[in-house]
Amino acid sequence: METKNSSQPKDKHFLIAVDGSESSKRAVLYVADIVGGFPGFAVTLLSIIPEPEEDFFDSEEEQIAWTKEKFEAANRMLENYRQVLIHAGFLPEKVRIRSCVGEERSFSEAILDMRCDLSCCTVVVGRHHKSKTEEFLFGSTSTKLIREAKNCAVWVIE
Amino acid sequence: MSSGSNGYTEKDLRGMVRRWVSADRVPKRVRVKDTSDFFRVDYDDVVILGGTPYFVRNNEREGRFGLEDEPKFWVKRAIDLLTGETKVLKWVFRERFEARIGNLVFDCVRSPQKEARILELVRGRGDFMQGTTEQDSAGHPLRILDYIRGRTLSQITPLLGSDHESFFYDHFPIVLDEYIGVVEAIRFLHQSGEKHGDIRRDHLIKDETTGRYRWIDYDFNYRHGESRFAYDLFGLGNILVFITGRGDVTTNRLLTEAPGILDRLSPDDVNIVFHNRVANLKKVYPYIPKSLNRVLLHFSAGSQVYYETTEELLEDLGEAREELERR
Repeated sequence: METKNSSQPKDKHFLIAVDGSESSKRAVLYVADIVGGFPGFAVTLLSIIPEPEEDFFDSEEEQIAWTKEKFEAANRMLENYRQVLIHAGFLPEKVRIRSCVGEERSFSEAILDMRCDLSCCTVVVGRHHKSKTEEFLFGSTSTKLIREAKNCAVWVIE
Repeated sequence: MSSGSNGYTEKDLRGMVRRWVSADRVPKRVRVKDTSDFFRVDYDDVVILGGTPYFVRNNEREGRFGLEDEPKFWVKRAIDLLTGETKVLKWVFRERFEARIGNLVFDCVRSPQKEARILELVRGRGDFMQGTTEQDSAGHPLRILDYIRGRTLSQITPLLGSDHESFFYDHFPIVLDEYIGVVEAIRFLHQSGEKHGDIRRDHLIKDETTGRYRWIDYDFNYRHGESRFAYDLFGLGNILVFITGRGDVTTNRLLTEAPGILDRLSPDDVNIVFHNRVANLKKVYPYIPKSLNRVLLHFSAGSQVYYETTEELLEDLGEAREELERR
């Protein structure tokens, strides 16, 4: 059995970074449509908690409570998306969920770090339709991913 | 003697006050006030912080969000009764609010901890306001800031030269060098993982004793998105456009002073956020070098690429500085 397993090609591993937005939903549905039901694919659904800096909290307890609540909400959302992918034909054991706090890193850095850790071949994100001013003042994760990603494909879903 | 007087009698304190203010300003009674509530501390009171008595003078004022000269009750000028130095005492005033720029709304906070942290970080630097932090009687960080004598960049710049052309040829190279210096100061903050948070031209005071600009007021923080420092860079860009134009060049001003130039402007030429301010200043002042104008265009509505780090901005400013020198 061991010999057989080691000779099997590795799954193509997709990393889908999501938040609560409609564009994230579109990204998940797109992957479900394109590769759902085909063998040889695995997906990790990732949510990054955009924790504000310590200055935004009156106490450490407040910060811990905030983060805990966001983690719970993120995990609920990820589980919903996991079910979407399973319904689309992914084997349950091939769809994993991860959530983490952004900390000092930007979203794109956190996503690319995770991609590297999990050796994903493709990063998938939804495109948030930001105004030019918004992109100027706060940046764009998808633009940054396209610019900074190495050794992988980046799908930005409209 | 009140419990918080740290061993100073009222007679001691009156004697100390007399050393630093004229006789007609010495109050008949000197009250030592508890430091936990800034609303209870008034003009002519004394507060004791870290063992040092401070004689409280007026509240500081600040124009902001269109409200000119709003008193800041949590910020009071005071005299250090041991040295006679003027200080600015800044009590804890936590504020969480939504800032609005056009249709954009984002979370901001006024954080005494942040300012205390940065005061430690920039200790001894001539390009930042200096100060220390002491705990008030409730254990909150109260900042004791050195008072900076001088005018702000927004007061100084429009007075240089008799018109824009004389300003640009006679003063601007020095002004640009000073600007590069203040951007380098912000680079230091960013490299240390801190934002300024409220970069604007009246938060730069030219210290009369050193002749150098100092950044002031670091207690604001904003919730950043993908780009941690972009909002600070936006502030730096606005200052650059302001100094290059020797003030704000607004579409309204052009309408009355130079309607022909206004006709030549396109929607891409204005500030990306403030659409009534012109960013493409070369169309107004053709002698502005291309390399400098290219930097300005990064802050225009037509820009396709934006600065994300002070390093990128400084690199382009270096080129602009070189081109100015060659002229």
